Amino acid sequence: MKTLNRSLWVFLVLCLGGVAAAFGQVPDAPPVDFPYAGNRTGVWVVAQLHILFAAFILGAPIFAVVAEWLGYKNNDPKYDRLAKEVIKVTVILYSMTALTGGLFIFVLLGTYPDFSTWLIKHFFLVFAVIYPLLFILETIILYTYFYSWDSMKGAKKGRHIALGILLNIVGTVTLFVIDGPTSFMNTPAKAAEGLSLVEFIQTAGLWDKMANYSWMPLNLHRLVGNVTFGGFIAGLIAAYMFMGSKTDEERSYYDWMGFVGNMIGVGALLLLPFMGYLLAYELCDYDASICPYMMADQLSMFFEMQGAMIGLIFLASNYYIWLSLKRIQGVEQVRISGFVALVVLLMPAIMGYTWKMFPPPEWQSLIVLGALVVLPAILGKIPGLKNFTVSAFTMIKVGFLMIVVADAIWMTPHGFVPTQGLATEEVELPSWAGELALMPAKNAAAFTLVFLTVVNYILYNRAIKRGTIIWGKIDFASQFVLIFLAFSAIWTMGLMGAVRSLTRKYYHVYNLVPDFSPEAFTPTLAYSAWWITGVTIVFYAVVSFAILVTLKAGSPKPVGSAASPIPAEAK
Amino acid sequence: MANQSFAKNVMKKTTLGVIVGVLLVVGAKFTHFPYVFQVMFFIYAMLGALVFILLDAPAMKRLEGVKAVGALVVFYLLLSGLYIAGASILPQFDPEDEKGKIEKILKPRRAQTEQGKADELIARAKELDERAQALSKQLASLGAEAQVEVVEQPSSAGAGAATGDVIALGKEQWELQECYNCHKLFGQGGKKRGPELDNIGNLMTVDQLREKILNPKSWKAEGFDKDYDKGKMPDKYKDLMFPKEIDALVAFLSSLKDASVKTPKPIKMN
Repeated sequence: MKTLNRSLWVFLVLCLGGVAAAFGQVPDAPPVDFPYAGNRTGVWVVAQLHILFAAFILGAPIFAVVAEWLGYKNNDPKYDRLAKEVIKVTVILYSMTALTGGLFIFVLLGTYPDFSTWLIKHFFLVFAVIYPLLFILETIILYTYFYSWDSMKGAKKGRHIALGILLNIVGTVTLFVIDGPTSFMNTPAKAAEGLSLVEFIQTAGLWDKMANYSWMPLNLHRLVGNVTFGGFIAGLIAAYMFMGSKTDEERSYYDWMGFVGNMIGVGALLLLPFMGYLLAYELCDYDASICPYMMADQLSMFFEMQGAMIGLIFLASNYYIWLSLKRIQGVEQVRISGFVALVVLLMPAIMGYTWKMFPPPEWQSLIVLGALVVLPAILGKIPGLKNFTVSAFTMIKVGFLMIVVADAIWMTPHGFVPTQGLATEEVELPSWAGELALMPAKNAAAFTLVFLTVVNYILYNRAIKRGTIIWGKIDFASQFVLIFLAFSAIWTMGLMGAVRSLTRKYYHVYNLVPDFSPEAFTPTLAYSAWWITGVTIVFYAVVSFAILVTLKAGSPKPVGSAASPIPAEAK
Repeated sequence: MANQSFAKNVMKKTTLGVIVGVLLVVGAKFTHFPYVFQVMFFIYAMLGALVFILLDAPAMKRLEGVKAVGALVVFYLLLSGLYIAGASILPQFDPEDEKGKIEKILKPRRAQTEQGKADELIARAKELDERAQALSKQLASLGAEAQVEVVEQPSSAGAGAATGDVIALGKEQWELQECYNCHKLFGQGGKKRGPELDNIGNLMTVDQLREKILNPKSWKAEGFDKDYDKGKMPDKYKDLMFPKEIDALVAFLSSLKDASVKTPKPIKMN
């Protein structure tokens, strides 16, 4: 494994050396033509692949160090094993991140030499000093963290966890630093009074360019997205290993790992819509014309597809809870106040209306929201009303119904047209239902999805406490659900990454550096979907290979039937 | 036994899904939802049925070895196909519509760059060379006394300006700058982000219109206080548009004098 890593690093250094030498000797080199796909798609594919690997190597260590800490705190070796297995896969994929990063630079310099040079000049300190130093530091800490796992046990465990935290701090800073130029391309700094944007950028300092409108929202969105991603990939690892397990012991462990991965993934997923809103809000605040381009014009159907993906992801994550709940003995006893079910049923209508009348952060909207969340718990304690309860299964079924309803609201557009210019009465909402396409309705739908998922987790937690969970005996279909979640999360990342990039329209840097190439138009959703699927499959193939090489090939073989254990039970 | 029970369950839920779907379609038709939304509601009813079928489905049998790998490959292919098909079914934006627009916007900007100037010189040299070769051929084939017709090629840049139709150019700028995304005009476009402009020519002078475009904070439309405070109108046109493009847009806007449309009153701010 070490040899493979070293070979990849040497290859990367040679690649970078080659690029530097080539471009150092040929001034004003003309752009190359990327075969088959064209230059824009070539850069898109390589950049997307790099971002997926980067998201994993940044998200997985957060997941791992939390798991390691839980294992240390609860003296539970399962968590430690989980953390180590995730880091093992991370180490392999770290090389792939570097490799695709090198490839990205290579392709970008080859296809867009003038713009690449322009961007590097503006962020020279970042690209030439800060980012490489952080990357080297992160590499050193990651390898130290991994290779010191077995030697830093017992009394030294605390120090090992501290090393993991340091790794995550450096990783997060690296993300924030590289997000500077990325977000700058979307929202370059606003010009000071009396200056044009071009004049302002010529004199602006590095910090002016880094701390642009969308920098912090992008940082937060990517950070939370990476944790979600880490959780779902841990679920994917668990699913593969569960499917290949030969003993009940292994199955029970990987069933548990899948549960933890899904829980972390879904936990972070609940925050993602709000982080997405924040990013979209800042983009629109920077330039209000970006908003219609995204929501009503060329990219409107990309958001339609996003709505479908979010709905599917919420359906799948709640279906996993359902399958998980079904194998808990004693779950029939678990009940919840019927008022919770009522609130879930009424939430889209009540919150949609409230947010229309009192857009957040107006205090009235917060009061109604707070009342909806708290009221069921209060009413459930009042004598005479506290017997109004529903079973866990009924509550979850109500939840599924509302996922479908909420997603239908999320997906209802003002018109089924790819651009507002083509809107006619035949494809537009009737005027009385126009509210369905506006933000208050969308926010209410998003909040309903989040709320009912939290309710389902509360129920699940109650079921675990009151019943007996038999690890390893989960419905086999659940493993496909975990795989589905990882695949869909990656696909959605690809879709939204394309949207963020396309909001620059026909500019490399929005309103500042025009893209004069013939590919500076908005591609169709269908065309984008092919490439996003292709990138997802390539990423999946590499991750699957990494999991098989690191975990499956390295796992001890079962020692005959005598060693078959009784399924692990946990209260 | 379990299979029979599951089959019954599938039948029951599917029937229920179809009934709910039909009810939704009828309700949607009755309340004037277009056909495409009726289809969407039906699909959601069937999705709901599928979800409830899955909830009561019997546990899946464990797969091992080649069967498990095969099932995974099929699963990935299905997912890939589903996502590509889903994205392809939705209405597609035609890039050709945008390409012409981008060309119009970027061509004059490209001409200003060093590369653009070099390209233009190369193109002109090439054109002259071709014309010289054509002339030589004509002279050679027709003899010395033949008259040679030289057709003046109109310059592609500023073709519209040559017509003198500055209002048409202004209308083109309206489209290119996508003003219709926020402002309603001739009953089309706009999402209440900005005022309807059909009568703006009666309310603002040419200079005032130019001032508003160059500095959006200089004027506010009555009733658009929130949008004004949030700075909804982008402060970018002074950087993105050439003076002659702004002149054309201003000329077009000042020609809008339909008093039957209630364009909000402009208020001078600073």
